[in-house]
Amino acid sequence: MKTHSVCLPILATLALSAAVTRANVNINNAARGVSPSNAKLYVPDSVNNWSCLDGSKTIPFSAVNDDYCDCIDGSDEPGTSACGTGQFYCANIGHTPSNIKTSRVNDGVCDEECCDGSDEYDGQTHCPNVCEEVGAKAREENDRIQSIQNEGARLRRGFIKHGKANKVSLTNELETLRDQVDQVQLALNDARAKLDAANEEQGAYLEGSKSEREATRRQQLEPLIQEQTKRLKYAIEVRDMLKITLQNLKEKHNKNFHDMAVKGTVSGFDDYIVAQGEKTEVVEDDLASLASDRQFDALVDETSVVLRDIGTLHDLLDGMKRDYNTEYNDEAVLAAVKVTDDFEITWDSSKLDFADVEHLVLPEELPVDSPEAEKFRDATDLAQAAFNEASDKENKIQEGIRDIERKLNMDFGPDETFSQLVDKCFDFKDTEYTYSVCLFGDANQSSHSSTHLGKFSGWEGDNYDVQMYTGGTKCWNGPERSVKLVMSCGTTTEIVSVTEPEKCEYLFKLQTPAVCPIPEGEGEADEQEQDQERQQDQQQEEEGEEHTRKHDEL
Amino acid sequence: MESAQGRIKSSKRRTIVRSVLGLGLALACVSAVKREDFKTCSQSGFCARNRAYADIAKETPQWVSPFQLNPSSLRLHKGVLTGDLINVQEDKQPSDKPALAFELHLLDTDAARVRINERNPIHPRYDGVQDTVLIKPYGHATEESYQKLGKDENGILTIQYGAQSQNTVRISSAPFKIEFLVNGVPTVILNDEGLLRFERLRNKEEPKVEEEEGEKQGEEASSDPLVEQKPGGNEIEIAIEKSDLEKKLEENLWEERFKEFTDSKPRGPESFGMDITFSGINHVYGIPEHASSLSLKATRGPDAPYTEPYRLYNLDVFEYEGDNPMALYGSVPFMLGHSKNSTAAVFWMNAAETWIDVEKSPEDKTGGLLSWIKSKKAVQPAATKTHWISEAGVLDLFVFLGPTHRDIFRQYASLVGTTALPQAFSIAYHQCRWNYNNQQDVAEVDAGFDEHDIPYDVLWLDIEHTNGKRYFTWDEAKFPNPTEMQESLSAKGRKMVTIIDPHIKKDGDYHVSKEGAELDVYIKNKDGSSDFDGWCWPGSSQWIDFYNPKARDWWASQFSYDKYIGSTKSLFTWNDMNEPSVFSGPEITIPKDVIHYGNVEHRNVHNLYGTMFHSATAQGLTHRNETNQRPFVLSRAFFAGTQRFGAIWTGDNVASWEHLELASPMLLTIGLSGIPFSGADVGGFFGNPDAELLTRWYQAGIYYPFFRAHAHLDSKRREPWLFGEPYTTQIREAIRTRYTLLPFWYTLFQEASVEGTPIIRPMFTVFPEDEAVFGMDDQYMVGDAILVKPVVKSAVIRSNVYFAGKEKWFDIKDYSVEQGPGFKDIESPADKIPVYQRAGTIVPKRERPRRSSKAMENDPFTLVIALDSVGEASGRLYLDDGESFNYEKGDFILTEFKVSKGVLSSRKVKSTTATSVESSFAEKAGGLRIERLVILGATVPLKKVTVGDRTLQASCSQVGGSYVCTIKEPQVTIGKDFDLSFA
Repeated sequence: MKTHSVCLPILATLALSAAVTRANVNINNAARGVSPSNAKLYVPDSVNNWSCLDGSKTIPFSAVNDDYCDCIDGSDEPGTSACGTGQFYCANIGHTPSNIKTSRVNDGVCDEECCDGSDEYDGQTHCPNVCEEVGAKAREENDRIQSIQNEGARLRRGFIKHGKANKVSLTNELETLRDQVDQVQLALNDARAKLDAANEEQGAYLEGSKSEREATRRQQLEPLIQEQTKRLKYAIEVRDMLKITLQNLKEKHNKNFHDMAVKGTVSGFDDYIVAQGEKTEVVEDDLASLASDRQFDALVDETSVVLRDIGTLHDLLDGMKRDYNTEYNDEAVLAAVKVTDDFEITWDSSKLDFADVEHLVLPEELPVDSPEAEKFRDATDLAQAAFNEASDKENKIQEGIRDIERKLNMDFGPDETFSQLVDKCFDFKDTEYTYSVCLFGDANQSSHSSTHLGKFSGWEGDNYDVQMYTGGTKCWNGPERSVKLVMSCGTTTEIVSVTEPEKCEYLFKLQTPAVCPIPEGEGEADEQEQDQERQQDQQQEEEGEEHTRKHDEL
Repeated sequence: MESAQGRIKSSKRRTIVRSVLGLGLALACVSAVKREDFKTCSQSGFCARNRAYADIAKETPQWVSPFQLNPSSLRLHKGVLTGDLINVQEDKQPSDKPALAFELHLLDTDAARVRINERNPIHPRYDGVQDTVLIKPYGHATEESYQKLGKDENGILTIQYGAQSQNTVRISSAPFKIEFLVNGVPTVILNDEGLLRFERLRNKEEPKVEEEEGEKQGEEASSDPLVEQKPGGNEIEIAIEKSDLEKKLEENLWEERFKEFTDSKPRGPESFGMDITFSGINHVYGIPEHASSLSLKATRGPDAPYTEPYRLYNLDVFEYEGDNPMALYGSVPFMLGHSKNSTAAVFWMNAAETWIDVEKSPEDKTGGLLSWIKSKKAVQPAATKTHWISEAGVLDLFVFLGPTHRDIFRQYASLVGTTALPQAFSIAYHQCRWNYNNQQDVAEVDAGFDEHDIPYDVLWLDIEHTNGKRYFTWDEAKFPNPTEMQESLSAKGRKMVTIIDPHIKKDGDYHVSKEGAELDVYIKNKDGSSDFDGWCWPGSSQWIDFYNPKARDWWASQFSYDKYIGSTKSLFTWNDMNEPSVFSGPEITIPKDVIHYGNVEHRNVHNLYGTMFHSATAQGLTHRNETNQRPFVLSRAFFAGTQRFGAIWTGDNVASWEHLELASPMLLTIGLSGIPFSGADVGGFFGNPDAELLTRWYQAGIYYPFFRAHAHLDSKRREPWLFGEPYTTQIREAIRTRYTLLPFWYTLFQEASVEGTPIIRPMFTVFPEDEAVFGMDDQYMVGDAILVKPVVKSAVIRSNVYFAGKEKWFDIKDYSVEQGPGFKDIESPADKIPVYQRAGTIVPKRERPRRSSKAMENDPFTLVIALDSVGEASGRLYLDDGESFNYEKGDFILTEFKVSKGVLSSRKVKSTTATSVESSFAEKAGGLRIERLVILGATVPLKKVTVGDRTLQASCSQVGGSYVCTIKEPQVTIGKDFDLSFA
């Protein structure tokens, strides 16, 4: 074939294909895809050339939108996909104009953003102009959103007012409390000094008879110490038996079954062992050298530690027993279940069932009966009562200060919007679980039991619309649970969805007036006019608040 | 015959020495903790027996195989040589019927086939692998194409064959040995080491004691003169004492235990083994799937890196480790050997458990043992000796002598088939995770790609999308409207893939389970009548018996839209767990003694099970509602022939640098073994890759033939934009690069579908004479044009790249030039890995960024022309509608580009079949234009460019010592021939 004959057939073929558009593009198409505001950028210079918008190159004006990418910045092809990096303007008459990526031009997809179908002009794909319809719907939707935003903004202004007022009143309250601090501390110090003196006097009197009293005391306590020692030994035996059971389970279970219940238990056991490594076991011999009271107390303490361990280990086993897959017939699992069953039977029927048998209580030391002793005792009791009263008062004030400081230190946003929502709780039910969050507090998931999903740890980003709750219960082989709480504008505050995009990391979507945009210019200026309105809101809000306060009962 | 017997006896005298050796061997096999779920050779009865036999042979000086061909029985007829094979130890009496039948077939493709089977077994040995693996009855060589050169004085029969009479096969009768020679040079030798061993079927009732006595009597009755001549002839007494190794030959013949599992083995021992020597060849490759190097490592001999043989037994291995020969998900018993002078391959057609030992001849430089061998054998050429051991079936071996790689790939593919031409979308980018939780999640991930302007084609749903792991169903709470979901993806040219596994939940209310039971299509227990059940994701499950033709058809029918509710045309399939994975079974798979259709014991067909499933699924997608659409099915298990049904991936890898590094040798090995459409999970399945590892994995993964990101349920989200900048931009850039090269990839797939060539290629296949690249697997070629060196270590910003050959290489991004041959340190900063186009090639691209491959359908092309030192280059472009079978009717465009003497010519290759399809794709796509030519390696700037009577402008800039010239809009199309000259 001779080369010169190539041209015509190609043009003929072009007419059938995508490439046909190229031929047409040059004809007055320089403006294709250019927004009216950019139109002035797409005019030729005096010699009919044109410079790329980044100034990097000058090309003939005919090369603009010729379906070939000449400019590094892609600016020469706003109307074609040749560069693919620019913006294509869809006029969308009947709806709002939009810019789409030029990589979407003539790609066979009717882009929603380009309702007039102007992005698919190569004849391969017909995209009808649906702007009237889409526009109508969009306007309707816009109206709906606008009315929500208006109402939301109105409510939010209430939040802000409440927040600001609250800050002022808290600050005042704090000041009042701080003023009282010195006074109550003086009183407390005075009471402490008096109590110390009384104790010292009584102590000096008692010191004389110390060893006789310890002998009497030991005689009195010996049976209790022995009983408690027995209980401790038994508890340790039981705990070690459960530990061995779990250790066996861990080593011998069939890992290929991927039984989540078994995996959970084994991982819980690993956590237990790690935690255990940090504690030191109390040695019985060390206890014997203590005074009888302290020895008994130490035994009781140690017993309760071991009982807690038993409780933990039993929970692990019991959790598995409930949920394990019975049909795998994994011998190690079956053995552990058998031990759990046996344990539950013996533990319940045992005389040493610490849960049912009354705790051994340290009896009062027999009073030393003499008028002088009584005098010292009365004086001490009196001083103690006075001290307690002073201390209570001091505590209450300090607590009040701390609570206010906590609230004042919380980041409720630059305009205090979120002050209104602090400690308010919200629920969301899906098919399996109920999720809840108390804002600035804790998030939880519950079905038959409750799982902690995290504690408020701060805002994410600078927009005051995303909160993080972290440090929840650890997943068996994953991270500690956490919640990302994302807020959107709404006229009420409620959770609209909860998802778990990746394991143990939850996404709560919350709608609330607190993030509704307040139109610019409407700020402090028209506060007066809306004051009355706001008072009404305030009332409503307070009703709302009461509702949320009742949350716990719900 | 007699002398052979004598030598066997002499081996028995070496009892004491060997038992010590044996112990040492056993100790070396102690497993690491992670491996305890899987057998070692010594825990697998037949492997231990055959390996012990090899030990005996190796420790016996002058070992001679007891196998002999009866010379008078040999017949050569129509390309097939047949004869009786006798084991002189077993067939002692002249009256004994010859036990084994030997066949040598010369094929019309120049390949040869060797078969050894029992002549009159007490029941037939399984010989059905060929029925499912071979694509069609092949042709034998015509009588004119080979020539019997007769017997020489040693009784060696020589036959010359091959299109150019380049091949010779020499058959020695006593001892039995077959040598294949290419142009007179021995290349593949069978039974050179004398390790052939064949366990004949027997009845268990036969008392063992009697058998031993018989043997003893035989020995005593022998009047072997050689034995008599030995000094100290009374050593016969010692010989009666069996050595530890000899005892091993009789261990675990029947019932066999592993951990808590018992393999009943009702047919007893039926294994066989044989050595295959690659003469003059130091590097052998293939036998996937192993997490190991491309060039196989020695498993025997001094300093062997591995102590275990390579194992082929499809298994679901949890968190597999790198650098060991353990079995993985797939098996292809194909091995290719290569040296500077020769290339040859073998295909050991057996689907039962198989082990392969590899031993390398000592290299020349060592002394000691070598000098002893040298003195013994005078010349010790380089050689790789392999020992193949299979549990059951018949010995059925193909030998391919090339002479080139391309010949071997074609010869092998002519038997087991080539890669099916895939759906075009399936070679683009796939986004997967276990699991995308619900429809909302799917919509958000889909929108994420658009928002971040990253192209992708397919979104995948793992097991959680089903109603309780009942495949073909949906979790209706999470996926209330699957059809709508697929349609909204499809509107943007995107597809969806759902997972369908071969285990069927036992549940009378589940339609698939119920129909399966009614049709009686489940695998049976060893009793042959009750259905096997085991444990997998859904709990108690049953496994479809895909050997039952009724089961296959029924299974295929499940994919029709009215059966698979909520499926649409844009939904495709993922077959996982098809080794099969059985949580409650031995080695996490199904027991070997379960029974398939036709009373076939599973042990015979284990390695093929996954492929049978894969093929039935592909059949289902092909025939669903007569849409004329190509299927797309991804499988985890594979075998020879899998390429005909779809893609595979390397299973459950780990988010670690080690696994990123492993992916290259694994994929290269799988590819050269006939399955080029493969990939490794980008990012690593288990664990959490950091941003750097993920980015580097994308940069490597875009050069996997199958390119999918996947993540475990417990891993953190890692969609490409989640790590923020600069990573999002780096990953976007990588994925877009894949998309620009899709025309090149698709052309390679078409070539693979015709020629059987790998798509990503080991360096040695492109530079077969450069010994520096024979062991190289950390860089490779895509086709013959593009060199890729993934970065597989953290904080590496310089890579040592080997530029093979004497020509230039051009960086595909900035066109900078490197000159071969030799290693050079190349910058590989965070945003790029070294990728080069080789001088002399033309690569077709589509450079416009789009959101999916479908959206690129009407885009014009760019040709990147890299001129070699004499100013030449060539390349091709294949294009069809990317989805239908119309290409089979000739509706495609295949254009060859060539530059020579300053002229770029484009010639459309005529299809052999006439187009008879309406609204022909080729006619329409023929008008697609080439918008840009990029010419690399010009020695002077191009001045005058003309096409016909038109003159075009070229803009050139100097890069390194040569010029890069771009020609805008040459106004040519891919459908019409043209000549463009430049000067």
